[in-house]
Amino acid sequence: MTEPRWTPYAVLVAIALLAALPLMTGSNYIVGIAISGLIFLTAAAALNLVYGYAGQLSFAQLGFWGVGGYCAAIAVVDLGQSFWFGIAFAGVVNLLLSVVIGIVITRTTRHAFVVVTLTFALLAGLIARDWVGVTRGPLGIPGLPPPSLMGFAFDTGARFYYIALVFALIALAFLYSLKTSRIGLILKAIKQNDPLVESQGIAPGPYKLAAFVIASVITGMAGGIYAFNLKVIDPSFLDFYYMQTFLIIVIIGGAGSFWAVVLAGAAMVVLPEALRFSNELRMVIYGVVLVAVMMFMPRGVAGWLEDRRIAALRKALR
Amino acid sequence: MRKLCRGNEQRAFIGKLTRRSRSPRLTGTVFSLSKHLSRRQTRDAMEVSATYLLQLLMNGLMLGLIYALIAVGLALIFGVLEVINFAHGELLMLGGYAMALTLPLVGLSYWPSLLVAVIVTSLVGVVLYEVFLRHIGQKEFERSILTTLGISMILLYGMQYLFTATPMMVDTAYGFDGVQIGSIRITLTRLIAGALSVAAFTGLYCLLRFTQFGRAMRAIAQNREAALMVGIKPRHVARNAVALAAALCGLAGAALAPIQLLHPAMGQAMIFKAFALVVIGGLGNMTGAVVVAIALGMIESWIGGFFSIVWQEGAIFVIMIVAVLLRPDGLFKRGSMRVG
Repeated sequence: MTEPRWTPYAVLVAIALLAALPLMTGSNYIVGIAISGLIFLTAAAALNLVYGYAGQLSFAQLGFWGVGGYCAAIAVVDLGQSFWFGIAFAGVVNLLLSVVIGIVITRTTRHAFVVVTLTFALLAGLIARDWVGVTRGPLGIPGLPPPSLMGFAFDTGARFYYIALVFALIALAFLYSLKTSRIGLILKAIKQNDPLVESQGIAPGPYKLAAFVIASVITGMAGGIYAFNLKVIDPSFLDFYYMQTFLIIVIIGGAGSFWAVVLAGAAMVVLPEALRFSNELRMVIYGVVLVAVMMFMPRGVAGWLEDRRIAALRKALR
Repeated sequence: MRKLCRGNEQRAFIGKLTRRSRSPRLTGTVFSLSKHLSRRQTRDAMEVSATYLLQLLMNGLMLGLIYALIAVGLALIFGVLEVINFAHGELLMLGGYAMALTLPLVGLSYWPSLLVAVIVTSLVGVVLYEVFLRHIGQKEFERSILTTLGISMILLYGMQYLFTATPMMVDTAYGFDGVQIGSIRITLTRLIAGALSVAAFTGLYCLLRFTQFGRAMRAIAQNREAALMVGIKPRHVARNAVALAAALCGLAGAALAPIQLLHPAMGQAMIFKAFALVVIGGLGNMTGAVVVAIALGMIESWIGGFFSIVWQEGAIFVIMIVAVLLRPDGLFKRGSMRVG
């Protein structure tokens, strides 16, 4: 879908508003929601790269999210490094891990791909629970210290917010430039017609692997930052709930469209807060939303809008 | 006689040891002694644990048969509809809950509640197909996964809202009675579960092999267009397949309910293993699913008997990763839906 001409201005306004958000409200609650929102949004945008562009429905993102969170926490608590080292460490570990896994699973059929990535995520959860020597098992690692930079401690919600904001902006900018680059175009082509891409002399394997690895690194770093936002990490960090949230953001926005996913992320962060009355009912509503979207607009809001536009064009031409 | 011999051996060994211990290489002897003793101890433990091994084997077999019931349903749905059913575990859970809720009504009697559970889940299967799966096309693989994932969320959290996440104990008229076969003890509910699975497989085999109903299902799985050409209605066949798979799952859940604790997330824990089984066996291959399920039930039980619980849970995933690495299409060929 082509972007409207006013997109850059809208983005600038949004960034300005986001940057001013902690100044506009004194409420820790709202800032807290905004932090989660930015981090979830980034993870969802990374999932969009794998699922939306490369067309591979990966549940492994949950595993990378958890691995990132644990790596960052362990680097700070056990290795005595800084928060920034922890995030970088999370990125590097995820890079290595996703290359190893990616080489194996990009060879499989797309059916097996789903199942294998899913099992990786579950295996990560099991390891988090059972490898007590490193992860502390079900107790988790509590009391993660607030990050600090040159003596400045990001110890309040409003200060931590800027870490999340800067990370989200960098990651989204990177994903956006990737999307508009040649690599993004090739990924899109791979999703649409694999054999045709091969006939053009392009091997799809490395591109799929690259998308998988980049998404994993971003998701892992997002997980690391989120763990420090929670100030504690335990096996519930690998709860399937996070994967469902990322997926729903991508699905509602429309897999494969950048801005729609970003907007859906913002919307889906507000919705759970409005539905705070019961955790179970909130998940039921998530499920209903997922099924409804799949039934009535399988390509998300973006796909639905595009279909409408094409229908209008056809009507005008007739 | 053997015992005597070994006694002599031991005495001779100790004599040798005392003689050698006067030599300056003391550490070496101590080392060899401890090594020798530990080897002897494990050998004794092995002899004693022949029954333990058999016990583990029986438990594993029962577990494997239950896994196979779930996996075979998944393979059936995949073979006919090309859909991986994420809500399959929730069907299992519904079967268990149907059993648990009916049991007090019929005076803890096992068989009527089992029947109720199977009927309820197969009806849920029909609804699932008619309302949701029917609208999903052959090529829309991701859409089918996400739809069934949504259904699974609705069922799982809906049940959790209604019945809370607290595990339920299910008591039947059989209680915790057991049977003694040789030196192995096995509870009656487990034995019935195993027997039921075997009966279900036999029934399923005959159904797919000898009835028109089953032939149509295999025909669709083999070649959709050709099946259409000879007048088979894919919609009816697919509905039957989903209902049949759901009934098998309900049977598994109902059989499982008196064996382990019942809670809304029990389906999720089982279904992920069932996915792994189906992938190892070859997607859509029912024989493969059954064989791999039984084998893995036993492997899991043995690992659980000798190592810590981590390995028991992790084994299946490690085996799957290795299997997919070596044979991306599964151990058994995906030659449509093979029966026999």
